[in-house]
Parts: sequence; structure tokens; C-alpha cells
Amino acid sequence: MPRDDRATCLDATTTGMALSVMAEVCRLLEALAASGQPGAVDLRSLPLTDADRQQLEDLLGRGEVRADLELAGRSEVWETAYPGAWWVRHLGADDRIASEEIAVCPVPEILQAHPDDIRAGARRLSQDLAALQAPAAPVPGDTNQETTHV
Amino acid sequence: MELLEFARGPALTFAIVVFIAGVVFRITSLFLMWRTRDTSTGSARERPVFVAALREIARRMWPESVYKRQTMFQLVNGYVFHIGLAIIVFLLLPHILFFKDLFGISWPHLPNNLIYAVSVITAVSLIAALLMRMSNPAQRIISTFDDYFSWFVTFLPVITGLIATSHLGARYETLLALHILSVALLLVWLPFGKLMHWFLVFVTRSQTGAHLNHRGAQL
Amino acid sequence: MSDKNAAARGPVAPANTTLGEALSDRGVSRRTFLKFASYTASILALPPTAATAIAQGLANARRQSVIWLSFQECTGCTESITRAGTPSIEDLIFDFISLDYHHTLQNASGHAAEEARHTAMRENAGEYIVVVDGSVPLKDDGIYSTIAGISNLQMLEETVRDAFAVISVGSCAAFGGIPGAYPNPTGAVPISEIITDKPVINISGCPPIPEAMTGTIAYLLSFAALPELDHLGRPKAFFGEAIHDRCYRRPFYERGMFAKSFDDEGARQGWCLYEVGCKGPVTYNACATLKWNNGVSFPIQSGHGCLGCSEPGFWDMGGFYKPLSTAKNDPLKWAGGAAVAGAAVGATSAFAARSLRNKSLKAAAAAANAPATEEKE
Repeated sequence: MPRDDRATCLDATTTGMALSVMAEVCRLLEALAASGQPGAVDLRSLPLTDADRQQLEDLLGRGEVRADLELAGRSEVWETAYPGAWWVRHLGADDRIASEEIAVCPVPEILQAHPDDIRAGARRLSQDLAALQAPAAPVPGDTNQETTHV
Repeated sequence: MELLEFARGPALTFAIVVFIAGVVFRITSLFLMWRTRDTSTGSARERPVFVAALREIARRMWPESVYKRQTMFQLVNGYVFHIGLAIIVFLLLPHILFFKDLFGISWPHLPNNLIYAVSVITAVSLIAALLMRMSNPAQRIISTFDDYFSWFVTFLPVITGLIATSHLGARYETLLALHILSVALLLVWLPFGKLMHWFLVFVTRSQTGAHLNHRGAQL
Repeated sequence: MSDKNAAARGPVAPANTTLGEALSDRGVSRRTFLKFASYTASILALPPTAATAIAQGLANARRQSVIWLSFQECTGCTESITRAGTPSIEDLIFDFISLDYHHTLQNASGHAAEEARHTAMRENAGEYIVVVDGSVPLKDDGIYSTIAGISNLQMLEETVRDAFAVISVGSCAAFGGIPGAYPNPTGAVPISEIITDKPVINISGCPPIPEAMTGTIAYLLSFAALPELDHLGRPKAFFGEAIHDRCYRRPFYERGMFAKSFDDEGARQGWCLYEVGCKGPVTYNACATLKWNNGVSFPIQSGHGCLGCSEPGFWDMGGFYKPLSTAKNDPLKWAGGAAVAGAAVGATSAFAARSLRNKSLKAAAAAANAPATEEKE
């Protein structure tokens, strides 16, 4: 997502950072392949111009998996053309990039369901099922069933 | 931050006040002292005094050929650090801004990196001058506190300026404060030591020129 | 839905549930915690792999009681940390804290508000965080700023007594700020000058970058420890580097290409703003990296030099538009007086020397019994 209103002197210039990041991703991916050790590169903390970011995106390409997340704002996760290297982009207010990283792992942690969420979901599913099967009886329980994601 | 505010504030103000008062004091007291006027009849070849004064100032910029070989290193080295200091002080933009704030005038500047190179050369040249003074037996005997301290207060701004620009060794605001304080020290010392030759070189050379001219020396 | 007013109403779950439990009922999943943790790790300059630990720490934490005291301040810090419009990842922090007292945001007022403060202090003794914005006046027994009938000093001391930590938000609380600027008529002092027996974190800036405030609170919640602080008590994650060191106009500074005035051709080309008064070289903040309004821009990018607003005494640095290399005050104001003084001393000493010489010449002539001839000078 390109940022608006930046000094025009910066937008179009590539600085070679894209290649440096790619080299780092390569190193991490090789480590993942060899020993299963996951890693990540935080893009927000790097001095990347918009052109650098675009160049990196083009170089890493797209793979077979894409996910759109809705949690406290949107997030986008896609597998790059190199399996195991995932692009994770978190958006905040007004779709601005809040944080961004290249996660090197079998699957990014954010895509996995957390055990606590699974437990809570199982509980909720059993309650919903009970409500569907016994419509006359008042629904026991105190929980607010509303999911209020934004 | 407090050291920088002290340096840019009270320290600089004090130093500039002492500098102005000191220079005016030295020049006033010098010109109001008695002079032995030579009332003898001048030579037939005598030129106007003003011309003779200017000619002497110019003439002493370069040694007589008799002395050239022996003094060549000191001569060239001296010019290197004098010209270097002038370039650093008057052609670096932050310095120009300092003068612009005081006097309202400004002029074009040179790239920072170029001034950096000139500063390194100037620092080396100053060190060479000191080494010459310390290694030459005659110079060592006649050197006084004034000689060494004047060298020190000249060298300090150059080296602190280099360190500040390089962001070496401490936080930048501390390095900048030290640089400004070193300039304050230079300004305070200047009127009272041999650095007063900033102003007096023109006086002394003119006086010698006028004197010799009266005797008819062809300069 | 994360909502600042909801936060100000107080905790929605019993005090001994964890954040993970309390928020899952409100639809904030562990996955959302992880997204917030990734964002927090990034702004705290922690490695991305720290996100898991942060998410875990947050989910296991109790909802943090926060008492926000506002003294001699402009409410800019509150404006910075809050945000109207669509709730987002940046607002999640308000789900993680229980903002038990805040003049601008709380619903209660008058006695009820003070009652809320005392209740929070009692129920969370030893565990609540006090956030302070604004400086405290000390002159004349602190009469220049009072709230609820007591002076700021009294309110601060009584509230901090059982607190776990104090966060001084904004340059006023951290360093004295604008009330403390010359001539400081109210005797304003930073919080750290009054509170010396509790940990005090300074998050300076006028106002501070919102992520600096929320990131620090998130760190405290996740790790139950203070982040690494610099010599002025500011978190190194946000105040460790000078603006100058991360400024995109830096290459132009090195090459000596400076804008001469606002919005001139050079400024638009991205040239350095040193000449129009930028204090970037001596200012430590995260503006050049985190930027403002979620990364839109920061003063230098908008063409205005850095004010140095996160540094102590920035109001008294000589002027926002005076370059760093200039004298702060006006030394030439004294030039005339200095010249006159120098001339006076010079003349006096010269004439004193002359008269001494004349005396000794006269004495010598008298001794030689010759007619006294004064050498004409």
C-alpha cells in the first residue's frame, strides 16, 4: 500500500535495499530448510523507499496461498514465490501499513488458530449447537454471542 | 543539552565581549603610547608613508631569497594552516550562518566534505608546526607559554570541529558544545597573546616599512 | 470493539481475569493479540520473533489499572494518544488498560471522579501505573494549579504513593516544558524532580509520538518490567537515535546542499533544513522512522525544521528558526559597551604609563641639573 504525501524526491528512487533484504530472506530460508529454524525480517524498521518496497514485492513474487484477515483492521498474508517465505502486512487505521514483515516458516503464526481461541470456539460451538437443537428452551449462559470485530 | 545551551548562550556572549574589549584595549593602548618620532631629514628616495607601509606588508609575505631555503618548510606550512583556517572559518555553511546571525551578511559556501578534507590537512599542518618548534633547539629555548598556549587554542577548535562533524566518541550535542567552548576560549585568549597578530601584523609591518622608507631603503 | 470511552468506564471483567480471558468475550481473539504484538515489537525495535512473547505476556496479564493525572498541560498528549474514527490496531491499547481516571476522557466528574481515583488506588495498590502529563508548579506552595481543592503537588504525591511506576508523558511532565520555559513564573518542575522513590519513565515530545506512549505501556504490560532507558529516563527504543541520524535529508547535509528559505527550490528537492533552524542533530526521537499520523509524515518531511521538542529546555534554545551554529542570545548587544570599556582601559593605561615616564624623565633631568626639557611626543 503506497504511502501518500511523501517528499517526491524519495518515491521513485531504489536504493538497493530490496536486494539486501532478499539476501537476508535467502539466508533465513536456507536455515529453515536445513534445521527447521524459523526467522523473520521486520520491514518497517528498515529505510525502504516506496520504490524499494515495490521492487522487493516484485522480486519475491506471489505463490499459491493468499489470505485476507479482518482483525482490528485488515491484514494481508501471502506466500511469496519461494515456499516458506511469507509476506505479512498488518494495516491500521485508514489502511495504512502498521507493520510488515517477511516471515520465514512453514506457515505464519498469525494464520494459525491459537489454543485459547480454539477452546473458546469449541465452547461457543457447543452452546450454539445446543441452542439450535432446543429452540424452546431459553439459552443458558452469560456470554455475549456477538462477535465484534471491526 | 545544558552544556550546549551554556556554550551557545552565556559562554559565547562572554567570549565575544571579552574579545571586543580586549582588542580595542590593546589597539588603543598601543596607539596612545609614546612614540619616538624621527625628526631627521628624510632621504631623497623617500616614498609616501602610506605606500611604504603597504609595500612592506606585501613584501614580508615572502622571504628574501637568501633565507628561502632554510625557512621554506615553515613558510609553506604556515601558509597551509593559515589558508586552511580561513577556508574552514569562512566557507563552511554553519559558520557562515553564525556570522549572518551576528552581522546580517552572508556569502556562498563550499561543500561540507571538501571542508572536512581541508580541516584534516590544517590539523596535520598545525601539528607539524608544533613539532618543528619542539624539535628545533633554538626555537625550543626561546618558546614561551604564549607560544604553546596560542597553538593550543588554535588547534582545539579545528580538532573539536572535526570530531563533532564525525560524531565520534560522545553524543553530538556534547561534541558541538565542546567545539563552541573551544572557540570561546580562543576568542578570550586572542587579544592577550601572540594571536593578536591577527590585527597587529599590519601595524608592525607598516611601522617597519615607514621607518626604513624614511632612511631611503629601497623596499 | 475497542473504544476509549469503554475503557474509561472501568474494567468490564472481574479484576482477577487475564486480558486474554476478558477480551475473548468481546471478540478480541488471540490472533488479534498477535497482530498487536507484531506491531508493538516492530515499533519497539525488538526482533519480529519477540511478537510471540509479547502476545503471550499480554494475554496472561491482568487488565492494567492506569490513573492519568493532568497538571499544567495543554491536553496535546491526550490528543496524541487518542484518535477519532475507525478503531484499529493502535487503539487496542485501550482494551488492555483500565483508564480509571482521566479528566478529558472519563464520564464522571466532580466528587465522583475523585472517588473513582481513590477507589482505583485502593483496589490496585502496588500495581497501578500513574501517567502524568503537564508540569507541577511549586512556587507559592503550588497555588498556581489546583484540582479538586488540592495542589498538583499534593495530588501527585498522594497518588504515586502506592503506584508501581510513573510515566511522565510529554515534555512538560518530563522536563518542565512550556510552563518551565523562561521565566518560569509558576516554578514549574518535571515530575522526576518530585518523585524520586518510584521508577519514572519519561516519554518526552510536544506531544510525544503516540506509538511511543502505547508501545511503552504495552512493554510494561507484556514484560512487567521497565524498558531500557537513556540518561534522561526515556525509552531507548524510541529515543535512542537522533533525528539527524535517520533523516532522509541527511545526504544533502553531508554534501552541503541547504535550503535557504521555506519551500524554496532546494527545500522541495529534499535539501537539508539546517539553515532554517532545524535542531535535528541534537534531538532524540523516533519522528524520522515512526513518523506521525501512522507514518504519514513528520515536520522535516513537511519542510519545517525540527523544533527539538523532545529535549529539555527546547523552548529556550534561542529560537526555532535560528540555526544550531548561531549564538543563542545577541552577543553584539554588548559590543558597544565592550568597545568603550576596552578603549577606556586602554587610554587609562597608556596615559598612566606616559605620566610615569614623564615623571621619571623630569626626575632624571632635575638630577642632572639640566633645564627640564620634556621630550615632545
